[in-house]
Amino acid sequence: MTAGCPKLGWRRYSLRSLSLLPVLFAKEWRELMASRAYWLLLIFIGPLVGNGFITAVNLYAEASGIGGGAAALAQGLTPLDGILVPTWGAYDLAITLLFPFVAIRLISAEKESGAWKLALQLPANLSVTIAAKVLALIAGWLIAWLPGLIAVVLWKFYGGHLDWPETLNLLLGHWLRMLLSAGVAMAAAALAESAASAAIVTLTFTLGTWALDFMAAGRGGWMAEVAAFTPVAALRWFEQGLLRLSTALVMLAIALAGFAVAVVWLQVGQRVSTRIYRTLAVMIVIAAFIWLGSMARASRDLSENRRNSFPRADEIALRQISAPLRITINLAPEDPRLMDYERSILNKLKRLLPHLTAEYAAQSQTGLFESSGGANAERYGEIWYELAGRKVMNRSTTEPIVLEQLYELAGIQAPAKMEEPEFPGYPLAAHPKAARWVFYALWPLAACLTWWLARNDRRLTL
Amino acid sequence: MSSRSLSVAVLYQSLSVYNLLTMNLLTVNGLSKQYDARTVLQDVSFSVQQGEVLGLIGPNGAGKTTLFECLAGLAPDDGGAVSFHQQALTAARRKEALFYLPDSIAPWAAQTVRWALKFFEQLYRNRETNGATLAGELKLEHLLNAPIGSLSKGERKRLLLALGLLTPQPLLMLDEPFDGLDLRQTRDVMRLLRRHAGRGRTLMLSIHQLNDAARVCDRLVMLSEGKVVGEGTIDELRAQAGLNDGGLPQAGLEEIFLAIT
Repeated sequence: MTAGCPKLGWRRYSLRSLSLLPVLFAKEWRELMASRAYWLLLIFIGPLVGNGFITAVNLYAEASGIGGGAAALAQGLTPLDGILVPTWGAYDLAITLLFPFVAIRLISAEKESGAWKLALQLPANLSVTIAAKVLALIAGWLIAWLPGLIAVVLWKFYGGHLDWPETLNLLLGHWLRMLLSAGVAMAAAALAESAASAAIVTLTFTLGTWALDFMAAGRGGWMAEVAAFTPVAALRWFEQGLLRLSTALVMLAIALAGFAVAVVWLQVGQRVSTRIYRTLAVMIVIAAFIWLGSMARASRDLSENRRNSFPRADEIALRQISAPLRITINLAPEDPRLMDYERSILNKLKRLLPHLTAEYAAQSQTGLFESSGGANAERYGEIWYELAGRKVMNRSTTEPIVLEQLYELAGIQAPAKMEEPEFPGYPLAAHPKAARWVFYALWPLAACLTWWLARNDRRLTL
Repeated sequence: MSSRSLSVAVLYQSLSVYNLLTMNLLTVNGLSKQYDARTVLQDVSFSVQQGEVLGLIGPNGAGKTTLFECLAGLAPDDGGAVSFHQQALTAARRKEALFYLPDSIAPWAAQTVRWALKFFEQLYRNRETNGATLAGELKLEHLLNAPIGSLSKGERKRLLLALGLLTPQPLLMLDEPFDGLDLRQTRDVMRLLRRHAGRGRTLMLSIHQLNDAARVCDRLVMLSEGKVVGEGTIDELRAQAGLNDGGLPQAGLEEIFLAIT
C-alpha cells in the first residue's frame, strides 16, 4: 500500500504528467462532445460557410461573364479573393461570436460545478491539463473546418482553380486566429467567476481590437503599427497571400499569453497577489517576445499573382541597396493615396529592405485642410527618400515611378524587364450546383444526427 | 493553576511524548487563514497518525472546509506549516501526499458513472482497488451508465467516495462523507472506510453528525471558531473537558463537544 511509503516524493507526478496527456485529452474531448455550444457551432457553421461560398461563386460567375454579360479582366479574377476569402470569412465570424463560448465552457463548467477542485489535485501539471483542453479545442475546430473544406472540394468539382500555397497559407491564418481566440477566451474563463462574465471579458477584448482598428485607420503612426497585429488585421495578411513571420509569431505569442494567464489564475491555491505578480511576469516575457516577433522581417509572398512583390528583376536590383533607407511620408492616414502607396510600394519595400524606416509626417487625419492651408500645407503630399546622406522628393505613389526614383538615388541602373510568366487569371462561370443542399440541409442534418449519436452512443466520445 | 488546567497540561505533555513515539503522517502547525478581516482559522495545530481515521468536528462555520482546502493547497493559508513524515510539505506538493474530496460538488454532469470511475483508474492506476470493486461496494453497479448529472445527492456522494478511494495518496480527506446517505448506506460506507483504514490508508473526515464521528473515528480534532479546542480519543477529550471529574464518566461526544466549545 502506498500509505506505507516512508518519505515525500513517493511518486513523481511531474514525470507522469505528459504520459497522462492522452487520458486528459480524451476527457476534454468528451466534455467538448457534451457541450451544446460546440454542437450549435457545428450546426450553424455549415449554412454560414455555404452562404459565403454560394454568394462568392455566383459573383465570380458574374464577373466571369456568365449569362452573356461582359467579363471582367481575367487577370483580376483570382480564386483567393473571389472564392476562398469570402467562403472562409464565415470562420472569422464564428471565431468571434461562437467559438469563445465553446472555449470558455471547458473551464467555466469545471469551476462552477466544483470539478476544478478535483482537477487541481489530479496527478498532472496544470499546464498539461490546460494543454489537453487546447488540443481538444484544436481538434474540435478542425472538425468545424469540414464545411470550408467541402466548399474547396466543390469549387474544384466545378472546374475551379486553386493554388495550394496561397490556400494553405489562408488556412494557417485561420488556424492561428482560432488559437489566438482560444487563448483569450481561456484566460477570460480563468479570470472571471462565471461563464457569463468570461464571455463579457472576451467580447470586450474583441470590441477593443475593433476600436483599435478603427482608430488606427484614422490616426496612423504607432497605433497603426500595433493595429497591424489585431486579429482582423493579422488575418488580412494571410488573406492577401502573404506569410509574415512577425504576424504569425505575434498571434502565437498572444495565444500563449492567454494559456499562460489561464494556468496562473486557475491555481486557486495561490494568493491573489502571487497570481498578479506571475501574470505581470508572463506579460513582460510575452511583451518582449511580441516586440522581438514584430521586428521579424522575414515574409513570403505565397499569392499566385505575386501581389505582394515587385517584378523579379526589380527585386534583384533593390536587394543591392544595403544602406538604411528612410522614407518620410507627408500623407494623412485617411488619404487614399497613402493606402495605395502602402499597399503597392511600402509593404513590398519593407519585405526587401531590412534597414527601411518609414515616418509619417502629416499632422491631420484626412489631409483635407492640411493640403489647403495649414502650417504644413506646402509639404503635404511629398514623399522624401533619404539614402546614404542623399535626399530626394517625389509625390508619386505609382510603382514604376517610385522605383525609378529609388534606382537613381541608390546609383543603381534600372534593370531590364525580365521575361516572367504573367498571372493569367482564372475566370469561371459556374453555378454553385448542389451547394445549397450540402450546406443548408445535409450539413445541419448530419451535425444534428452526430450530436444525437454522441449523446446516446458513447463510442463517439472516446 | 486549577486541577482541570493541570490535568489538561499533563495530558498535552503526555500527548507530545506520544506523538514523538508514534508515527505522525501529517503534522499541522499554527495554520491560520483570514478572509478579508475575518479570521477563519487561527493557529490550528494537530497531527494525523498513520493508518488512523481522524474526525474533524465542529459547529457550522468552525472552519472545517477551509482547513481542508488549505491543507489540500486549494486555498492559500496565511501562516503555519504542514509537514508530512516530518518533512515540510509545500502547498504545491500536497497532492502527492493527500487527496481531498470536497462536499457539494457535481463534477462532469454529462459524463457517466462508468466513465468517471475509469478516468480515475487510468489516472492513478491504484493496484489496491479498482472501479468495479468500489462500484459493487458502494452499490453503484446499476448506475454505471447514468450521467452524473442525473444522480441523486446520495448517489453522487457514493460516486465521489469511490473516486476518492481510487486515489492512492497516503492520506484521504473527506468532507462530510455521510451527508446525503441514509442509515444503511452510512453504516456500509463506515465499514468500507474502516476496511481501507485497516489496510493502512489514513483517513481524515469532516463530520457534523457527532454520533457518526464517534462511531467511525479513532481520534477527533475539535474545531470551534477557527481554533482547535481539543484533540484526542473520546476518553482523552472527556478528560480534557473535565467530565470525568464532573461526574459524567460515560459522557458521549455531544456532551464533550458542548463542554469544550
